[in-house]
Amino acid sequence: MKVAAQKISKTIKGRPVVRTLSFEAASGKVLGLLGPDGTGKTTILRMVLDLIRPDEGAILFDDQKLGPTIRARVGYLPEQRGLYPHYRVIDVLIYFARLKRLSRKKAQVEAVRHLDRFDLIEYMDQTVGELSPELQQKVQILLTVLHEPRVLILDEPFTGMEGMNAELIKKLILRYREEQRTVILATRHMNLAESLCDRILLLHQGQAVLQGSVEQIRKKYRENLVLVEGEDNLTGLKKIAGVKKFLLENQVARLYVDPNQPVQKVLDQIIKQVRITRLEVNRPSLEDIYREAVNHQGEA
Amino acid sequence: MRNLWIITGWEFWRHLKSRSFLLATFIPPLLFTVVAVVLFFFYRESRTPQPRVIGCVELDTTRYCEAIQKKLDNFTLPGTHTPAVVLIDIQADTTDDLQNLFQEVARLKHELDSLNDAYNRIKERRRYIFQRPDSPTKERLLRQTYEQLHLTREQRDLAEIEYNRQKAYVDSLWQMQILKTADSLLFTQVVEGYLILRGEELQDGRVEFHSIYPNQFLQIEPLKNVLQELLVEMRLRQEGITISQIHEWLKPVVINEILVEGARKREFSFLQSYLAPVIVVVFLFISIFTPGGFLFYSLISEKANRVLEILMTSANSFQIIAGKILGLGLLGVVQIVIWLILTKGLILAGWISVENLPFFTLHNLGFFVLYFVLGYFFFAAIYVGIGSVYSNEEEAHHINLMLRMLSISPILFSVPILMFPDAIFVRLFSFIPFLTPTFMVLRTPLGHPPEIDYIISVGVMLFSTLVALWVSGRLFRNSSLFDHRTPGWGEVWKLLWGKG
Repeated sequence: MKVAAQKISKTIKGRPVVRTLSFEAASGKVLGLLGPDGTGKTTILRMVLDLIRPDEGAILFDDQKLGPTIRARVGYLPEQRGLYPHYRVIDVLIYFARLKRLSRKKAQVEAVRHLDRFDLIEYMDQTVGELSPELQQKVQILLTVLHEPRVLILDEPFTGMEGMNAELIKKLILRYREEQRTVILATRHMNLAESLCDRILLLHQGQAVLQGSVEQIRKKYRENLVLVEGEDNLTGLKKIAGVKKFLLENQVARLYVDPNQPVQKVLDQIIKQVRITRLEVNRPSLEDIYREAVNHQGEA
Repeated sequence: MRNLWIITGWEFWRHLKSRSFLLATFIPPLLFTVVAVVLFFFYRESRTPQPRVIGCVELDTTRYCEAIQKKLDNFTLPGTHTPAVVLIDIQADTTDDLQNLFQEVARLKHELDSLNDAYNRIKERRRYIFQRPDSPTKERLLRQTYEQLHLTREQRDLAEIEYNRQKAYVDSLWQMQILKTADSLLFTQVVEGYLILRGEELQDGRVEFHSIYPNQFLQIEPLKNVLQELLVEMRLRQEGITISQIHEWLKPVVINEILVEGARKREFSFLQSYLAPVIVVVFLFISIFTPGGFLFYSLISEKANRVLEILMTSANSFQIIAGKILGLGLLGVVQIVIWLILTKGLILAGWISVENLPFFTLHNLGFFVLYFVLGYFFFAAIYVGIGSVYSNEEEAHHINLMLRMLSISPILFSVPILMFPDAIFVRLFSFIPFLTPTFMVLRTPLGHPPEIDYIISVGVMLFSTLVALWVSGRLFRNSSLFDHRTPGWGEVWKLLWGKG
């Protein structure tokens, strides 16, 4: 199922949270909405889920608006999670499965099947509150996928996840991709997302600063990154030939080297100019690319 | 719609099994039963034939106490020949000193009487001498008796002053003593109160009653009636009217109080007419606010533990609100049904007599259910609105408490409603949606409101409920996911009109 946002905007309490944003999440692909806290990720997901309505623009699921049928085919794991603590695990699962249009019998069967799959079968008659936080998280993940949704929406799924649960979510995302389902993942952990997402949307102040497949973005930002840590004044390094961009933070210089220039030549120059305590040559991470893109946007 | 029924079922069953529902359903009737049983035994105990013992102090009257007791003898305890009130003539507990003083006063009186006699005798003698023919002896005797008369008069006047002085002194001592005796009888609980009769005050119809028990003043009516009768008799006798005529004229009027309820008539009973509807209102209050409270706290806790967000991805706002309201409303219906079954059970067991439940008619029950439904939907809608806006449980609890107080406040007006069922203020209050259900349920058995009042009150409730539902729906949609802090009035206004 394809999910498409078309020029959506949202202002909350007088502050524009999302600004004319468009994106598309396709079947069999994982779309990552990336950015630090406060960049509008949760608001975007809530608009996708029709929990709040965009001031402008529209969100379509296979060219249709979200209705009861589509709603039943969407699974959502919110950032802040919780369940009914005083009720039995099995009852809570059946209740939510039925709300996702499963018949009572099917809901019972699916609940037991998933409990078994998630190694939770022995806890089915316990109340949610009696379980450890780790098991409660597991039940929450189970609840999200119990109805085998076609679209899986995860808001900061790795935040607060304990032990094996983060791994469980990763496996789940990969399985859903394999099964040609749509996954939208909002997270601030960019490096983690890099390994999971097919397409990413880097957000800054409710706008996309970068959008595309991970390969496309990497190609665009394929310059090498040289990290230099030294005791001397490092500002002189920016004049080295081939350095496209220079950033200095806490006595660590980040030199973005022109991909057409040989890195070895630049390294020789660095060693000649300053006494170094650390020298690294990296391909820029998504986080670096994000920082670069945000700075670039700021300069523009 | 399917989700609506699923939510309805979930809310109904999960709360039906909750401890708080069971407590709210069974504790109030149990409490009322206990109170009723205690009152019943107290009432029965208080009706066990036990005459009231009242003292009677006569300060400058005589034999009135005896007359009052004779009249009181006509008032007997139900089913007995024992007088309801026993009057004790309180006498002063005289000490030796006081006895000596009494003797002294008697001696002075005797002396005064002797001097009076002597004075009168001299006057008589002088009259006799005066009538004799003139003679030197007559002259001498007149002069001689004049001196005797003068001397005796002086002696008599002096004796009279002394007697009056001594008598006033002894009288005041005696009064003090008799009141002291009365007080001691009161404090030792020999008497429950005492009357003080003073000559002039009694003529003017004024009598003092002293007691240390406040309830005695509430039961003063029989004494008052007897004294009134006695006084009227006394005055009529002074006018020359015969005793038999007086008794004929003072024959009391007996009014049988019959309450007409449509085609049915029954003897009026204050307890049945007043207390029973008040108890019904309390149950109405419980049946509205038990599920209302569940709805309120369910919403707040679902916001707090983030279940609401998941719920909202599975069902739309209407399904969630309507499902919760209906599910918990059913709980209120179950509560009412349980109470009706319990009442029927108590009737069958013979614990309650049907005659004691005259207000328990299908007509009244119909109105009770109608105002329960209207009241529940109205308050439920308000609870949804408040629950959507408030995140702080403590603040929300205060609002909940305020709503409950407001709703139950009409009980304070139950006596004025009984006295003035169609007064303008009673009618106006019946049209304030927060008060309508309780006011109308109170008015139905107490005052038989006109048809138009039912129409207006139902209209007001329907309109208010629709407005409350619309407002709550907007607030739920626009603010239930934005918690963190309680918004001000301005923000609420914006939320109301904003796009969710």
